Amino acid sequence: MGKAKPDRVDVCIIGAGASGAATAKVLTERGLRVVALEKGPWRERETFGGDELANVNRYNLWPDPLLNPRTLRQSADQQATENLFCPVPQMVGGGTVHWQGWLPRFTEDDFRMRSVVGELPGTTLADWPITYHELEPYYDQVEWAFGVSGQAGANTFEGPRSRGYPCPPMPMSRYAQKFHEGCGKLGWNSFPTPQAALSRPYNGRPATVVSAFAQQHGDPTGTRSSALNVFVPDAVATGRYDLRPHCYVREISVDERGRARGAVYEDADGDAVEQEADVVILACGAVETARLLLLSTSERHPNGLANGSDLVGRNVTFHEYSAAVGLFDDPVYAWAGGGYVSASTFQHYGHDPNRGHASGGHIAGAGVGIPLPINWSLPRKPLWGSQAKQLDREYFNHSMAVAMVLHDMPQHDNRIDLDDTVTDAWGLPVARITLQPHDNDLKQGRYLIDRAADILEGAGAHKVDKVYADKVTGNCSHQHGTARMGNDPETSVLNRWCRAHEVDNLFVVDGAPFPTATGANPTLTIMANAWRVAEHVASGRAT
Amino acid sequence: MTSSIDHLGTGFFDAHQRRTVAAAMARMIPTDDTPGAREAGTVDFVDRYLAGLGAIYAKPDGSGFETLEGKQAWAWQQRIDSLRGTYAAGIATLDRYSRDTYGADFADLQDSDQDAALQALESGADPGAADIAQAQVIRHGGPIEPALQQTSTETELDFVPLLAMHTRQGFYADPIYGGNRDRVGWDVIGFPGPASLADVHTGRYSVLDYFADDRRHPGQQDHPDG
Repeated sequence: MGKAKPDRVDVCIIGAGASGAATAKVLTERGLRVVALEKGPWRERETFGGDELANVNRYNLWPDPLLNPRTLRQSADQQATENLFCPVPQMVGGGTVHWQGWLPRFTEDDFRMRSVVGELPGTTLADWPITYHELEPYYDQVEWAFGVSGQAGANTFEGPRSRGYPCPPMPMSRYAQKFHEGCGKLGWNSFPTPQAALSRPYNGRPATVVSAFAQQHGDPTGTRSSALNVFVPDAVATGRYDLRPHCYVREISVDERGRARGAVYEDADGDAVEQEADVVILACGAVETARLLLLSTSERHPNGLANGSDLVGRNVTFHEYSAAVGLFDDPVYAWAGGGYVSASTFQHYGHDPNRGHASGGHIAGAGVGIPLPINWSLPRKPLWGSQAKQLDREYFNHSMAVAMVLHDMPQHDNRIDLDDTVTDAWGLPVARITLQPHDNDLKQGRYLIDRAADILEGAGAHKVDKVYADKVTGNCSHQHGTARMGNDPETSVLNRWCRAHEVDNLFVVDGAPFPTATGANPTLTIMANAWRVAEHVASGRAT
Repeated sequence: MTSSIDHLGTGFFDAHQRRTVAAAMARMIPTDDTPGAREAGTVDFVDRYLAGLGAIYAKPDGSGFETLEGKQAWAWQQRIDSLRGTYAAGIATLDRYSRDTYGADFADLQDSDQDAALQALESGADPGAADIAQAQVIRHGGPIEPALQQTSTETELDFVPLLAMHTRQGFYADPIYGGNRDRVGWDVIGFPGPASLADVHTGRYSVLDYFADDRRHPGQQDHPDG
């Protein structure tokens, strides 16, 4: 109580993860004054450690489901139940705090999948309103600002690039070597997975420490490339980035004309504050962005902000991660480097009508534990007993996964809305996910897992377990599509600049604008698109 | 190396509960030609966990444990209370079954009878319990969602799968939590883990030696900048 209302600023960004931090860097470097409101803490690197129990089992990085529940159901006639669906760390840096950052670019066809595939009944497959070529300069900006290690041209399915990567590929792990061998045997292209890590010192930053605690662990050394380690410091250095942690935005406020006025939030002391801004940019992740829009009801926007079309929250996609697991005679140490310093193939990524399903996905080698056998299992593996122990011993040093990123299809009825009974620890309705996989998702998933198994067999695995995805569980933490961009306000929430059709000073820069999920890890494209939008916002204000 | 924790008066279990849980955990990861849950002290791990909010998060430099506050402390108290209930009821059920079937407390049964009792409780009176247990374990990182995501929570688990999970945690988690005594869990699987949490925290811990002998990818070109 009694707090002075903060000064109005040029831009208010909700969220300080991959997209919010990238946006903040661009805007502040272009001279704009930015306030960022981040729900979670602003953690220094000293607060992170190599502790699987804390980081994976005890919600040190994941949202605690008792505080931040979500609910899930398969169809609108079911009662949703609580489920920690598609969690992402809620803190400065967001998902980039605990990722290992596989950063492939999308392909040219990813931006025109509806044209490539044609009509696929039951889906809302759509072309993007932008092309690969429009986004390419921003891919380049992000790769060079962020520090990505990779080999230009090694992925023969990639579109044209204006230049290579700033750093050579990360050193080759034994599991990457197996992956290359398997693809080589099959005559398939493979390439070092482009990664958010430094294979050598770059931009005043030291090379990334190769630990066993990486994927799903924070980085105590500060040497990985993340929004926290790169974009946030860049924005802070301008002196124009006012990043406020522990500030939970409850709604986007609107003026009498229905334009965004600012954000109403609960600050670290529990006080309600309104931050006004000329432009409001949502960067909460596709699930929470949709939730915030739906929470922001007003006379002008009774169904939620920018939701006159009833499209906010719809067409949500999550990918799905699954794998074949191979056992080798020689050690592969697939925990080394955290299990994700690896190699990839796009051989089964593009659409091929002869396969009997639409599109495809990224396939790559990976570890099975993260890194320990605390949080993994195998089909039909007993839960406990001497056989379970024996399998731990056999598999730990001698097995690896070959995994897929499923390109799940957008569907009108797959959506985020507000749960009508469950609230979070702040008293607000939580996101309710309604989700049913499309038949194409299951077919494509089986195909990709079969190809993953081919690679393991090609590499000489003497035992291969295939794990088909029989549903979409949100286990990738990838989320997209809840506020599609498009040229037609009847079928999209945002225009090609990711500005709301209905609210001309409201933008969305996370995965929500993606009309399709694609079959690749989304964060590079999320950051590149955020950069593109931020340049547009800055240019609009400069003129 | 790490010493086991003196639990007298500091843990959650009474002596009988502690003995029962230790015996059950010894069946989860049995001692064979290599150490098992008993040698790793997994009962110390769970006893300490359930004792309160003092051992939820190790400080990342290994210098002690974090103090929980606010909403986080509230959530953890809910969780610990729930888990205590699962353990107390589970131990009582295990003993009741053991006495009814074998005429002795669980901890006094021979190994094969202990296994049978745990299996009986795992499949349980609820015909769906085994399926749920299996689903939970798979959801907790099994290959249906291989190792990469945690979408289930401990409080959703029945006693036997919970015990199995805590045994794994106590066997393989960092020794600072009271289990994995002298890093025996890591030795069993051949993990060259860090000497301490501080080793990771300072960046001293590198496992580059476990990468390929030739660390250049096939066909890798020299970077233009050298």
